[in-house]
Amino acid sequence: MIVAFVFLASMTLICSLGVVLSRSVVHSALFMSGAFLGVAGFFVMLNAPALAAFQVLIYVGAVTVVILFGIMFTQRPQVRRFRTIMNRQIWPGLLAAIGVGAFLAYVLSVQNWGSTAPGNGLRDVANLGEVLLGVGGAPPIFGLLFEVISILLLVAVIAAIVVSRRKTGEGVDRGVEE
Amino acid sequence: MPPQAQEFLSQLNAAIPLEGYLVVGAIMFAIGAWGALIRRNAVVVFMCIELMINAVNLSLVAFADYLPDAGGAGVGYAVLVIAVAAAEVAVGLAIALAVYRSRKTVNVDEVNLMKG
Repeated sequence: MIVAFVFLASMTLICSLGVVLSRSVVHSALFMSGAFLGVAGFFVMLNAPALAAFQVLIYVGAVTVVILFGIMFTQRPQVRRFRTIMNRQIWPGLLAAIGVGAFLAYVLSVQNWGSTAPGNGLRDVANLGEVLLGVGGAPPIFGLLFEVISILLLVAVIAAIVVSRRKTGEGVDRGVEE
Repeated sequence: MPPQAQEFLSQLNAAIPLEGYLVVGAIMFAIGAWGALIRRNAVVVFMCIELMINAVNLSLVAFADYLPDAGGAGVGYAVLVIAVAAAEVAVGLAIALAVYRSRKTVNVDEVNLMKG
């Protein structure tokens, strides 16, 4: 357990630092998928293998690909020095982040969580489905949340299409015009 | 097998305390917050926000597995959070695309259209 934990923790944290500090945006995206894979490994360790599968499918697959498409559409080739990718808040930002991290880590470690033991999670996909629908002893609010999330996803997809659509007569299609 | 080696092996197999996962989540959240504060590129800011969301998910699932009264509800919340994050990244990248189309840049300190 300890070997797996140390491996996954170092993978996750080093990849997270890579997202922040790498000079190429594409490298940032690839580091981000590495961090997501580390979190998926944590989910497997935490008795949630179905959630780990969701994580790999949605984050490592879909979100990384969408972000790579976004990079493809929005980046010009540019000189990538540290001065150009960071804004002027690098040291105040580091101070604030260290403050937040140290505060959270301190509070979460001194808090008495009572009797904790691993293995209370729901391993079965059937149990996860019952929790998601709010039946079978799960909090019944989950049924409402499930419906709200589906509406939210629909609205978000429509909004994404509407926001990113080119208005008629605005801009040129480079592949056609030039 | 000598007893020291056996003890070492049992130590290696011991369960990780809950605080281990929580501290990893907290550090990951702090790294994501740092990146969201200092990076100029809007797409990288989105990536850092995704990192923060993942750190919170990790904490939720750790609680669901370790607290006996949680009943595994944290995994359900994590699924909902993943759905909200997917919606956020879709809308966010659409906005980044629209901004790039009109301003030819996605650097967050050059886009000052709504500055008073």
